Amino acid sequence: FALFPPQLDHGCALHVAARAGLSSVSTQDVPAERPRAVFHTSESDPAKHTEQHEGRLYNIPLEEVKAVFPHGLPYRFQQQIQTFNEARVMVRRPALEILAYLKGSNFAHPAVRYVIYGERGTGKTMTLCHVVHYCSRQGWLVLHVPDAHLWVKNCKELLPSSYAKDRLDQPLQASVWLRNFKTSNEHFLQEIKTQKKYMWGKRESTEEGRPLGEVVEQGLARVRSASDAVGVVLREIKQQSHRGSFRLLVAVDGVNALWGRSTLRKEDKSPVSPEELTLVHNLRKMVRNDWSGGAIVTTLSQTGSLFKRSSAYTPHELLGKEGFDALDPFVPIPVSNYSPREFESCYGYYLERKWLQHEKAHTEDGKAELQFLSGCNPRQLDRLAGPL
Amino acid sequence: MAAPSAAGLGRRLRAWLPRIMPVRWSRYNPSYLEPEVKKESYQKPLEELTEEEREQMELKAVQPIKAAPPTLSSSVFSDPMISKFTNMMMKSGNKVLARSLMSQTLEAIKRKQLEKYHKAPENEKETIECNPYVIFHQALKNCQPIIGLSNITKGGKTYQVPVPLTDNRKRFLAMKWLITECRENKHRRTMMPEKLSQELLLAFNNEGPVIKRKHVLHKMAEANRAYAHFRWW
Repeated sequence: FALFPPQLDHGCALHVAARAGLSSVSTQDVPAERPRAVFHTSESDPAKHTEQHEGRLYNIPLEEVKAVFPHGLPYRFQQQIQTFNEARVMVRRPALEILAYLKGSNFAHPAVRYVIYGERGTGKTMTLCHVVHYCSRQGWLVLHVPDAHLWVKNCKELLPSSYAKDRLDQPLQASVWLRNFKTSNEHFLQEIKTQKKYMWGKRESTEEGRPLGEVVEQGLARVRSASDAVGVVLREIKQQSHRGSFRLLVAVDGVNALWGRSTLRKEDKSPVSPEELTLVHNLRKMVRNDWSGGAIVTTLSQTGSLFKRSSAYTPHELLGKEGFDALDPFVPIPVSNYSPREFESCYGYYLERKWLQHEKAHTEDGKAELQFLSGCNPRQLDRLAGPL
Repeated sequence: MAAPSAAGLGRRLRAWLPRIMPVRWSRYNPSYLEPEVKKESYQKPLEELTEEEREQMELKAVQPIKAAPPTLSSSVFSDPMISKFTNMMMKSGNKVLARSLMSQTLEAIKRKQLEKYHKAPENEKETIECNPYVIFHQALKNCQPIIGLSNITKGGKTYQVPVPLTDNRKRFLAMKWLITECRENKHRRTMMPEKLSQELLLAFNNEGPVIKRKHVLHKMAEANRAYAHFRWW
């Protein structure tokens, strides 16, 4: 059926899903699924997910999971992958919305920022992972920061930066991120070449025109300069993205960490503000919309945040004035609890995989009780179904 | 002064209510009735009730009812054995922690069994039990001793006399042994759900230190058979 690609201008962001819903109702029926179950779909390419697949679960092959998500999946989901031996992600409306915007956006314009927000446990990180999977299938370069809060708290080693005197380096976090970045974007690291000569300390340097993989190797080998290596990688990618040889997706989970406070302290016990950290400083530059040829998809997160009320979930509350001004203008994408159809689908999946073992869980009473106790919240449902 | 009539005293409720009202551990007036939690009893239409049930309902409409204890639940998933076990695991009244440990234990058992189930070949799949509640109940049953020992002093000396145990005592001993085994004989840094799930799975298969302790108790009772006539109850 004809789905006219909407041009995403900054002026008017039309709600694509409404138009897509109208067109699909008139044409074909639900495509013939395998007799496995109504709530599964055999379409494992996110590019082909439409309104018809809403509420269904699609499978990601395990090799792809290891390649695309070396980091970034929630811990409970990773446990679920291990227990069920498969990775099934539900296709939900916020993700479909972002995918439609991405499909129709003009990459000559500056990058559009999408902020996924919602209450606790509604599926913001999983929406982000769905978008990341789509972009990596399309061949984009994916810059995935699994949780920005990990960079502003619980840091064991803080080194003074060699590049700028008043900044602080975090070698461990930077090297972990570089390793995962290397796993997910192997082929890009050979294609992108550096445009400047970089000096690592007094003796080592990377010449102009060398592949970016060398910078990453340098950062992994010399852990002291890992944060600077991350800065170089981000800078190079940003400068070269407008050329059009690759599309860039910046996916940051917990972006409110970049503008909040941190619990780190310097050696003289004075508090460290996030802009004094090299990693945060460079990531803030990445999230600004002064480059073109890609998109920035971010998530707000209250769970790991510092010094924020536990009931805060709106962008203004979590980002604060500074963060909101820095991210403004952005496209807000709200994520809510399961709709009745999505709940049925999730419940059916748990039954099919034998996750709900209690004999009463198979009855109507048990299902009603699960719905009531969890309030259709995905995380609560997962937590409740665990011991049952 | 003649005291007011005993019948009147029995009928009337407590006249004096102290400021802090201890509810469950106090002596309720005998006219207070037990609360009814099961949903099925309220869903029966009026015609199906027998005469006595109808009388019971009318009595409940007038008489006061005791406060429901926090452990009494109308959930379809509640299990009295699991609640008892959770209470025994609880330390200093921290029921939230005990309950979360219990749910993590059940989830750990389920995960281990499901992983085994998915890796097993087709013909063995039916033999693997994945329901954590079934495993829990069976493991407890396997750990229950049949006969116990009791200290009886006769002629200045104390003898260990084999003695039959009530059902409650058997259940209590099984649960107590499981919990003490996990708390004391494991590495300091292992988490309780991990230890407990391991012990429950071993007990389900009739292996492990708790079953061994039960067998030791049985052997001691067998060895002290001669003193069995010291028991007078």
